[in-house]
Amino acid sequence: MENFEELLASSAKAHGHLCPGQAVGVRMAMLGCRLIELEDPTEHSQIKKILVYVEMDRCAADAIAHVTGVKLGRRSLKFTDYGIMAATFVNLETDKAFRILSTEEARDLVTLYAPGVRGKGGQQLEAYKRMPDSVLFRVQRVRVPVKGWDLPGPTRYKSICSRCGQVVRDKREVVVHGEPLCKPCAEGGYFKDAQEITWPDMNWTPTSPGFFHPPHRKRHLPRRVEIKGRRMVHPYTEIPPH
Amino acid sequence: MIKKIKVQDAVGTKLAHDITEIRPGEFKGPAFRKDHTVCDGDICHLQRLGKDHLYVLDLEQDEIHENDAALILGDALAGEGVTCERAPKEGKVRLLAERDGLLMVDTAALAAFNMVEEVMCATLHRYTLVKAGEMVAATRAIPLVMKRVAIERAAAIAKQNGGALSVKSMRKARVGLIITGNEVYHGRIKDRFGPILAEKVKAMGSEVMGLDFAADDSEMISKAIRGHLSKGCDLLLLSGGMSVDPDDVTRHGIRLAGATEVHYGSAVLPGAMFLVAYIGDLPILGVPACALYHKTTILDLVLPRILAGEHVTRAELAFLGHGGLCRDCEECIYPHCPFGKGA
Repeated sequence: MENFEELLASSAKAHGHLCPGQAVGVRMAMLGCRLIELEDPTEHSQIKKILVYVEMDRCAADAIAHVTGVKLGRRSLKFTDYGIMAATFVNLETDKAFRILSTEEARDLVTLYAPGVRGKGGQQLEAYKRMPDSVLFRVQRVRVPVKGWDLPGPTRYKSICSRCGQVVRDKREVVVHGEPLCKPCAEGGYFKDAQEITWPDMNWTPTSPGFFHPPHRKRHLPRRVEIKGRRMVHPYTEIPPH
Repeated sequence: MIKKIKVQDAVGTKLAHDITEIRPGEFKGPAFRKDHTVCDGDICHLQRLGKDHLYVLDLEQDEIHENDAALILGDALAGEGVTCERAPKEGKVRLLAERDGLLMVDTAALAAFNMVEEVMCATLHRYTLVKAGEMVAATRAIPLVMKRVAIERAAAIAKQNGGALSVKSMRKARVGLIITGNEVYHGRIKDRFGPILAEKVKAMGSEVMGLDFAADDSEMISKAIRGHLSKGCDLLLLSGGMSVDPDDVTRHGIRLAGATEVHYGSAVLPGAMFLVAYIGDLPILGVPACALYHKTTILDLVLPRILAGEHVTRAELAFLGHGGLCRDCEECIYPHCPFGKGA
């Protein structure tokens, strides 16, 4: 594993900016890897041994993913939306797991650990570099019963929603009165009023001739159309070339 | 696990903790110590102390008694030159100076320690001069029984940088004094600065190796500095010439002598025109004329820190601002006052 400063710099670049959350996330990930005894989980030999559960979608989450190499699509990164500045690091080989919580008191101690540093963000960043792990974090040894269908690897289970026909992977279906339903059908989704549509150029493919970018980027100025007496702009309509 | 029993039913059981007795203006201390076996004769005394019930302890493996916790905390807090008393009293342990010197407190670590729930440590102000055996802090776990892991975490925090509390010995410096100013050099007035500075130096256990006088002439001041250095002085105090008048050339003289760092001005009254300079590692203190009048000045705050080996820069002089205003009391009671305690 690279050293803290190197990881912080590359994490900030990947995330888009350097912020206090990056420092906390990088340090949390470094501690997590130490505790589950994986020297560098981004290495090929260790990449399949780690799972990380992040409990917030904040800057620190990106830093944790960057340092550990876990990814949502590889199923090594799990997002549990608790709104808690915490992450759990699991070694799948040894079953060792530690939940690391960022302490609230660390925020109150910033001015003491970085006196004289100007600017709130800069002072927080510096303080989070200087604080020992004992001040920055609390750690719990935990047991994480990982179900077979939550593990990385190919899809093991598929089901079909008995209401909308959607294929549901990895045991995410909900069984109601003995029938499998997808979560949107069973519980309602995060979206509302879903209506299927068609759109211009819907036969576009990456190999379509004459296009180097998706067609909407090359769109001409939209023409104005009248709808119920008001002038509206139809966003998906192109003006034919003269 | 803690079980509550009626005091009348406690005969034959051992007390779980010290029981404090307070007689206003007369006594405060343990009437009964932990592990005392309660007998018939104790019942009335305990009831007079307001105890109708007592605790019986049966600790789980992950729990710790306040006395054991206090010792772990005390040992972790005690850095170099500080020792933790082995006998907790009423759940507290005292931390004592092992030697004469300057109390150093890692205030960030102390604050972080105290942010852990259910532990506490109270200290004297940092930079307080202490004598061997003097109490510098006390610590305790607040509940009678608490989780061991919380104590261990607090102890880890206390141990950062070798312990939150330490007492630094002050070196015995060989001090050279240089009194600047035409009025003294040419004998227009009698020097009164030399004896004041010499007394302060001696009070800190250091030794005055030589006293020299220089006119308001930067070359002459520089030569006097080099003269003291060649005689083996390892700390120089210069008085006078620190102000803003055209004759105030002491700073220039210090630079001419080869100062590698010069920090002029402090956030302390009296002592705004104080100066700290270094020639290599050797410190030079420029003492403004206020020290002729005021019993306690910036010099009393900085000299012990210099002798304890601290490298004082602009930041240290600036951070003294909070609490750096002397109240100029009719009778000076420093160090038993807030002057210089806010840094």
